[in-house]
Amino acid sequence: MAAQNTSLDDAILVADDIGVRFETAEGPVIAVDDVSFKVKPGEFLSVIGPSGCGKSTLFNVIGGLLSHHQGVVSVAGETINGPHKSIGMVFQEESTFPWRTVVDNVAFPLELIGMPKAKRIERARHFIALVGLDGFENRYPGELSGGMRQRVSLARTLASEPKILLMDEPFAALDEQTRLLLGDKVLQIQQQLKQTTLLITHNITEAVQMSDRILVMTYRPGKVKRIVDIDLPRPRTSEVVTSEPFGRYVAKIWADLREEASRGMRDEEKHALQHHGAAS
Amino acid sequence: MAETGRLTRTPVAAPLVSPVTLLRIAIILALLAAWEFLAHSGWLYRDVVPSLMSIGHALAELLMSADYYFHLSVTAAEIGMALSIGGALGLTVGILLGANRFLSKAFESYLYYLGPTPKIIFFPIMIMWFGVGPESKIALGTLSCFFPVALNVAAGMRQIDKVLIRVGESFRANSWQMVVKIYLPAMRHPIINGIRLGLGVALIGTLLAETKLSNKGIGFLIIQAYSIFDMPRMYAMLIVLFVLAIGANALVGRFGGLHDIKRL
Amino acid sequence: MSATTTPARRASPGDYLPPVVGIGSLVVFFLLVELLIQLGAVNRFIVPPPSEVLGSFGRVIVEEDILQRFLLTLTECLTAGVMLTVFGVSGGVLMHRFKLLQQACETWVAAMASAPIVLMYPLFLVIFGRNAWTIIMMGFVAALPPVILKTIEGIAGTRKVLVNVGRSFNLTPTQQFWKILFPAALPTIFVGVRLGLIFALINIVGVEFLINFGGLGQLINELAERYDLAGTYAAICFVILVSILFFMVLEKAERWLRPVD
Repeated sequence: MAAQNTSLDDAILVADDIGVRFETAEGPVIAVDDVSFKVKPGEFLSVIGPSGCGKSTLFNVIGGLLSHHQGVVSVAGETINGPHKSIGMVFQEESTFPWRTVVDNVAFPLELIGMPKAKRIERARHFIALVGLDGFENRYPGELSGGMRQRVSLARTLASEPKILLMDEPFAALDEQTRLLLGDKVLQIQQQLKQTTLLITHNITEAVQMSDRILVMTYRPGKVKRIVDIDLPRPRTSEVVTSEPFGRYVAKIWADLREEASRGMRDEEKHALQHHGAAS
Repeated sequence: MAETGRLTRTPVAAPLVSPVTLLRIAIILALLAAWEFLAHSGWLYRDVVPSLMSIGHALAELLMSADYYFHLSVTAAEIGMALSIGGALGLTVGILLGANRFLSKAFESYLYYLGPTPKIIFFPIMIMWFGVGPESKIALGTLSCFFPVALNVAAGMRQIDKVLIRVGESFRANSWQMVVKIYLPAMRHPIINGIRLGLGVALIGTLLAETKLSNKGIGFLIIQAYSIFDMPRMYAMLIVLFVLAIGANALVGRFGGLHDIKRL
Repeated sequence: MSATTTPARRASPGDYLPPVVGIGSLVVFFLLVELLIQLGAVNRFIVPPPSEVLGSFGRVIVEEDILQRFLLTLTECLTAGVMLTVFGVSGGVLMHRFKLLQQACETWVAAMASAPIVLMYPLFLVIFGRNAWTIIMMGFVAALPPVILKTIEGIAGTRKVLVNVGRSFNLTPTQQFWKILFPAALPTIFVGVRLGLIFALINIVGVEFLINFGGLGQLINELAERYDLAGTYAAICFVILVSILFFMVLEKAERWLRPVD
């Protein structure tokens, strides 16, 4: 709430006119086009769009993992050029290291910067407790459930104490209940740490439940369709999903998204038809 | 539907000796009895199947002779050298091929097709290049073990989960950290498996070379026992050799089977 | 997201570059060896010039009855292959049929797969004498474990739902085996037989070389003992080419026999 009163000028993350195109066999595809937005300190911004809108591409651009893009991403006024130390990424895919215990997984970013062992273990334990995995420090990821592994990934990223937490559909591979409960956890942590967060998602409930603002993207090429302010009281939990204003936000965003998603579906059908037509 | 029958199975109190163990003991006893019977039947050419007693005797004699351990150490050193050189070469080439698509497309099929060819036939060349001493055996072992290591590492490198590499990059790991903390641990299973296969063929290559031409090593002892027709001694040596080879293989396998098998 | 993946592209000139570089560097390598030998930097009595090896190919093929030797080795190999298929596959089936037997023996078979069985060739020489049977039996025994293991793996790996389909039709155990398990396991069994044949060839050529008897392997030994340097190199190249060809044919055959899945 505090975030909404500050002006956009002290934004911590600025994306300015981002554009990405890929070369494919059928010619160039514009994945992301002319996307600009700002994120204020402490704010929770979600980027939502149908599949194929270039969300994940945008994630890679902001994370600095994709270099051939147009436009500029800057963090606290500094243009990024490759992965930036102020941005911590949580990936959609299973990304824990199967050969490291939970505590060693979480201590990984601290190990990279050469923090002494005793100290980094202590820090790691703190973040493991934060995501509610105390007691599992010495387990291997293979012994944990998918939801727990994703919490390990979250703790690992938080342990690097990023100014901005960047998440790409972190719950996409989980079942609905786990997803809601994990959403609670993320909300709680975010409010506790006043963590600036940028969440990429295609799940409307998830986005409305957690965000201060939601950026809706169009289907290919991915452009900014609308930015919606979510004026729901904080602190929130997953119970907010039963409230009446929540329903209105969801309906509003779905109206936007439906148009894009059905455009995407038609496009994919056309594609499949062409391919099969060529094959037979 | 038929599945429910299985689910209702109640746990039975385990008998003192499991049926599997019983069967194993029975099979072993039956084989030993058949062997002993053959040995005493006189049906076979003398000593082709020596009595268990004489094999046991030869085994004890073998294990108590200092001479045997000298030859064993010669062979072990040769295999160790072959595995180190061939393994290091294989690892390097494998990483290069796995990391570079162009190199892989240009050269990997040669390795792939040269891998399953008989290596012992290169022994005459190895003798010309490295002489009749241990060097030529090491060379043959190296040649044998290079291929499985290189091919496994190259394939393993390509199978690394890409997201793990992105994690490393997102935390801004430098090249050295990427190799030591991501690439190598992520490839540990293919690497261990390559070494396991490499050890097996290095062992065969080295020993076969020893049987062909040498004056020390286990292969030499085996062929010597053959030439003086000392069958019990030959059996004893083969038994020890098999136990050692199987043990070494299991050891390498155990070493590589960390805690995260479920994920792979 | 899907834009990052490039679907099947049409062949572009760039696709031909890697194999050309591969063959090119091979040619350059041999030319370099030739040059070094001609310059005297490499002893030609240790490494014969590639041109000389190439030249002796024809001589080796004509004078050394290479076709007959090839056929001999091939016959040994195929005999071992038939035995492998019969005993290996039925051994695997038997072990699958009698679970207790499998539990008792599978680790033994796996252990044998990692044992240097071919080192038993002096023993086989005593048992079977210096004839083709020593070679065939050596090839057979050394290649048996992988065939058994792959057969078990194939049958045990039949998808649960297929087994349940069989049950739902009330198939007898025999029908269940021949109509469901065996066909489902065939691709894996083919892999096992292919591996077995490759091991058999490697060991057969090796034993021929070691005991100086039989086909292609013996040829190398003979030429080496005659100090026919170029001939030895040529014969080795020939055997390697034959093995590669054998390997390729087996790969093709397996792909051809394998049902689409």
